[in-house]
Amino acid sequence: MEIVLQTIANGILVGALYGLVALGLGLLMGVMKFLNIAHGTFIILGGYLSFWLFNLWGIDPFLSIPLVIMAMFLIGLVFYRLTLSPLLKLPNIGMRIDTSMLVTFGLIWVLDNVMTMLWTPDTRTIMTSYTGETFKFSGMRFSITGLGGLGVAVFVAIALYFILSRTYFGKHIRAATQDAEAASLCGINVHRIYLLSSGIAIALAGVAGVIVISTYSISASGGISWLLIAFVVMILAGEGNINAIIPAGVIFGLLEAGSVLVVGVPYRQAIALLVFVVVLMFRPQGLFAKRE
Amino acid sequence: MIEISHIDVYYGDLQALWDVSLVIRDGEIATLIGSNGAGKSTLMRTISGLLKIRAGAIAFDSIRLDGLPAHRIVELGISMIPEGRRIFPQMSVLENLEMGASVRTARKVRRNTISGIYDLFPILKERARQTAGTLSGGEQQMLAIGRALMSQPKMLLIDEMSLGLSPILVQELCRVIQRINNLKKLTVFLVEQDVPLALSIAHRGYVIENGRIVDQGDAKMLLGNARIKEAYLGIGQQGKIN
Repeated sequence: MEIVLQTIANGILVGALYGLVALGLGLLMGVMKFLNIAHGTFIILGGYLSFWLFNLWGIDPFLSIPLVIMAMFLIGLVFYRLTLSPLLKLPNIGMRIDTSMLVTFGLIWVLDNVMTMLWTPDTRTIMTSYTGETFKFSGMRFSITGLGGLGVAVFVAIALYFILSRTYFGKHIRAATQDAEAASLCGINVHRIYLLSSGIAIALAGVAGVIVISTYSISASGGISWLLIAFVVMILAGEGNINAIIPAGVIFGLLEAGSVLVVGVPYRQAIALLVFVVVLMFRPQGLFAKRE
Repeated sequence: MIEISHIDVYYGDLQALWDVSLVIRDGEIATLIGSNGAGKSTLMRTISGLLKIRAGAIAFDSIRLDGLPAHRIVELGISMIPEGRRIFPQMSVLENLEMGASVRTARKVRRNTISGIYDLFPILKERARQTAGTLSGGEQQMLAIGRALMSQPKMLLIDEMSLGLSPILVQELCRVIQRINNLKKLTVFLVEQDVPLALSIAHRGYVIENGRIVDQGDAKMLLGNARIKEAYLGIGQQGKIN
């Protein structure tokens, strides 16, 4: 019984991180139909920024989040201007998805090499005084950094929900998502919305990167494995369904943790991905998508 | 007043409008009639900034519109109800109306504007919290009209309002359009496939064929014009229905 509870606890903690990892990817895809293959690489970049702040100035990773958000937001604006905005001239959405995949795939090599030059190819992590510490609660053990990650994921998801549903800016994002042309006829500057959404998406990747480096470790070329997780979670949530991403991440985390219990650690990802394929076969629109 | 002078518009290499010139005067209801593919929607989309011109000029109260992005044209006071209504399906009725008031000046007074629109279309008030995609076609058209009015425009462009709606409902919407034209001195430019309907509510009309303006004049005069009767109203020379 205890091991089952512990498995559920692990699943929730790792799942919240999986959701956080997918938020930025889902936002770019949902709003603009850009599939950012370099999303995982931006996560790694966010992790390195936090690593720098910790090593050079001793700033705690969780406290570094606002700084990382600001830096990554600016990087996101440049990213949009240089690589994404030219793609808006393409005649249709399908070409936009395809071409954005190619362009951002190329960007991975650029970013990988820049990061290798700046931070060497070594694996990096952040060791704080509380790294590895756990918190016991009715027989279950939670790692402090894992709980921190859960808190950050929930906070970010609620903030995003609040912005999208309550503020004029967020409603403009949703309007541009549903019908960009009609939005411009309402007087909404759609290009500005795209620019700022890109900044937010890359900032979200940065936040995920901070949690990744404080819970696990990172290396310059490790982005692809996080991209895979982000991609699976985004599809589980249903494309364009941003509010369902954290719950979908938790489900994916629980699946993975559960499979450890049943078949053991080596097959963990294989089982989770198998379930993902099964879900896609029976609910290709995603677990949380509303019926059309 | 809007002044369109000698514009050419292309889709890629395909020319859709040829040397089109027309004027819409303040406070009037003007219409552009023509068959499918004649270039009616193209002209509407050009005025609202969704399509660019290759030659000529468009001026609104002597401000050049051509070259401006669509959202800037809304700020200047021209609002378009697009063909197919194009409401935001996953937003509530109220949110759709709020989106119409995205222009800064309109945003400040949006509560007042919304209550004015609820007076025009009481059903929208009843359905304020409902998801817009679940509305009936007629209600969606009302919402599209309401949303376009939220920016407090000086001029309203209406692209194919009657499409897919029942005749009774179309009559009702036309009465609303005439009322706001009358009360608020709102200039209206409408494009319609239903030629008798368009000419019955408009003051003046233009006829477009194959991307060129071929006739213009007083709406009643156009209604009596034999060529227009023949081409659009399906009435032959002897007054028989073909």
